[in-house]
Amino acid sequence: MEAVQVQTRDVLDVSGLVRRFGDLTAVDGVSFQIRAGETYGLLGPNGAGKTTIISMVAGLIPADEGTVRVAGRDMTPAETDAKRAIGLVPQELAIYPDLTARENLKFFGRLQGLAGKDLTRRTNEVLELIGLSDRAGDQTKKYSGGMKRRLNIGIGLLHRPTLLILDEPTVGVDPQSRNSILESVERLSVEGMAVLYTTHYMEEAERLCDRIAIIDEGRIQAEGTRDELITLTGGVDRINLRGGGSTARAADALRGLPAVQHVDNDGAGLMLTVSDGPTALAGIVTGAGAAGMSVTSVEIVRPDLESVFLHLTGKALRD
Amino acid sequence: MSAVAAIAFVELRRFLRDKSNLFFVFVFPLVLILLLGSQFGAGSGQAKVAIAGPGSALAQALTAELESAGIEVTATGADAAQADLSRGRTDVGLFLDDADARAYDAGEPAQLDVVMAPQSSGQAVLQQVRTAVQAVGLDRSQLAALTGAGVPDAQAGAALAQAAAQVAVPTVQVVDTDDVVQDFQGLGKFDLGASQQLLLFVFLSSLTGAATLIQARRFGVIGRVMSAPVSSGQVVAGQALGRFAIAFVQGGFIMVGTALLFGVDWGTLWLSALVLVLFCAVSAAAAMMVGAVMDNDTAASGVGVGGGLVLGGLGGCMVPPEFFPATLAAVSYATPHRWAYDALADIQRHGGTLADILPQLGVLAGMAAGLLLLGAWLLRRSLGRAL
Repeated sequence: MEAVQVQTRDVLDVSGLVRRFGDLTAVDGVSFQIRAGETYGLLGPNGAGKTTIISMVAGLIPADEGTVRVAGRDMTPAETDAKRAIGLVPQELAIYPDLTARENLKFFGRLQGLAGKDLTRRTNEVLELIGLSDRAGDQTKKYSGGMKRRLNIGIGLLHRPTLLILDEPTVGVDPQSRNSILESVERLSVEGMAVLYTTHYMEEAERLCDRIAIIDEGRIQAEGTRDELITLTGGVDRINLRGGGSTARAADALRGLPAVQHVDNDGAGLMLTVSDGPTALAGIVTGAGAAGMSVTSVEIVRPDLESVFLHLTGKALRD
Repeated sequence: MSAVAAIAFVELRRFLRDKSNLFFVFVFPLVLILLLGSQFGAGSGQAKVAIAGPGSALAQALTAELESAGIEVTATGADAAQADLSRGRTDVGLFLDDADARAYDAGEPAQLDVVMAPQSSGQAVLQQVRTAVQAVGLDRSQLAALTGAGVPDAQAGAALAQAAAQVAVPTVQVVDTDDVVQDFQGLGKFDLGASQQLLLFVFLSSLTGAATLIQARRFGVIGRVMSAPVSSGQVVAGQALGRFAIAFVQGGFIMVGTALLFGVDWGTLWLSALVLVLFCAVSAAAAMMVGAVMDNDTAASGVGVGGGLVLGGLGGCMVPPEFFPATLAAVSYATPHRWAYDALADIQRHGGTLADILPQLGVLAGMAAGLLLLGAWLLRRSLGRAL
């Protein structure tokens, strides 16, 4: 009885998803579930496979293996009914620049089966929600980047989907618009909508997501709440050393220190994973200097998702 | 509104919203038809002669004689007559002056200035004018001979009228036996240009309109549409209907616009509309192929213009195919334009019926079906590139 209840609460159930492009396995055995009112994040660098996962979840491309169930229905490109449950907000601005915001909303609303007064009312509600009522009659090519992003999200909300899929919705927007978008997503979650959110911005995942899957090379490396993921690092700290000189020699030297677990050299400095950073700091700075690196700044970062990613994959999230 | 209609409607709306399209779709074709008709258009069927000069017995006699031959005569000034000739509004101009009038009144020889318009009908009307002038001159010289012999004017006139009633007056009927001229019989001034430009612009607008399809893919809109509860078949059908709507709006506008503005006679309207519908279907399918195969909308517009002009020229939309050499005429049948041109020509010039144009309709329907299938297949494949 309890198992049945859990199953009906899952708005999205992804199981063993695999997608190959020639010899490349872009998605390799991905499984996760999202419940109503939950915001679930896919956190990973560009090329990790996030958009491919979303394309399969949205029924745009078929999976080679595995299943996707949305609101209890199998999702494949041919299953058009299952698509009524999702609202897709793609990474690119999928709007017509030569139509107005109202015309764009009405067009996509018609595709979702809305019509007549219902379509008009819902269009007005969404315009109000995304703050574009005053500019609803302007062609969207005259909009700022942030306004276009808001409309892009509004189209996904138009038919009140059960599951909203947001693929990197803040890419290329100014900080003010970005904050506005994040606040909107927070509100949706409170209203009970399930949200699948992909990003490579750690701060967004930490702020928005109830649960996060860290994804790299097409696989989920770890999954859980923020706090659960942090514990995976074993409580290690990160120390960033900035400066010039021989960073490569310094990296080799520091790898030999007992407290240092990992050293990443990005050319402009070193990023170290260490146990008990404050205690190890003096030895690290001295060691780097002795190896020929002129240290200009030092930063100790307590564990965060960046640290988790580094810990799990051996590389920085921005890579 | 169904998903198919929504997609088609938004494609048409986007096409019409483009300001450059508005000029090339609604203004440019009519300007071209006006220019071509004014310069090269055939006459309206009734010969027209302008008589310029002061009112005189000579002018009255010539007017009566020409009108009795079924010619429309306009009395006007010299400048106006020249303007009418240069613009093709009249076929022949007769320029009379006071000396001509006095010579006529005196029964003496007069030399009249005659100018022929450049259009093809001018030569035939000029021949009729010569005949009329000779008849008027003969009447006047006969009258002068009688009055010169001492017969009073009234008696001389009555005697000539009585004599004229007793003999059969020879008449001149000008018939042009040239095959090409026969081909264009029954055409109004703007009729030929209108049908040529109709076909040229329907195809051109359709091909250049393919850019909106490419943009929809490039903007990511197609991908988003596919995430809605819409099948790929509906997307393809919507795009096909959108292309057809663009073509039909262009064609319908030219048909209605030229009928209202220039009095173009499209013959049996439903038959001409049927030809247009089939030609629009071929054009829409060709546009789908361009939109599916190409990924750059700017390049597609260039290909559309180039391809549309070449096929239009080859199909008889620039120079009438009746003037083509045999080889080129044979090649022209590879284009849908030529089949549609022949069908419209039959309807407009010879009152062609459905049975008369069935072969052309059949070929157009076959082309439309084949290209639509190919276009739909290519378009369905291109959807994958949008995801």
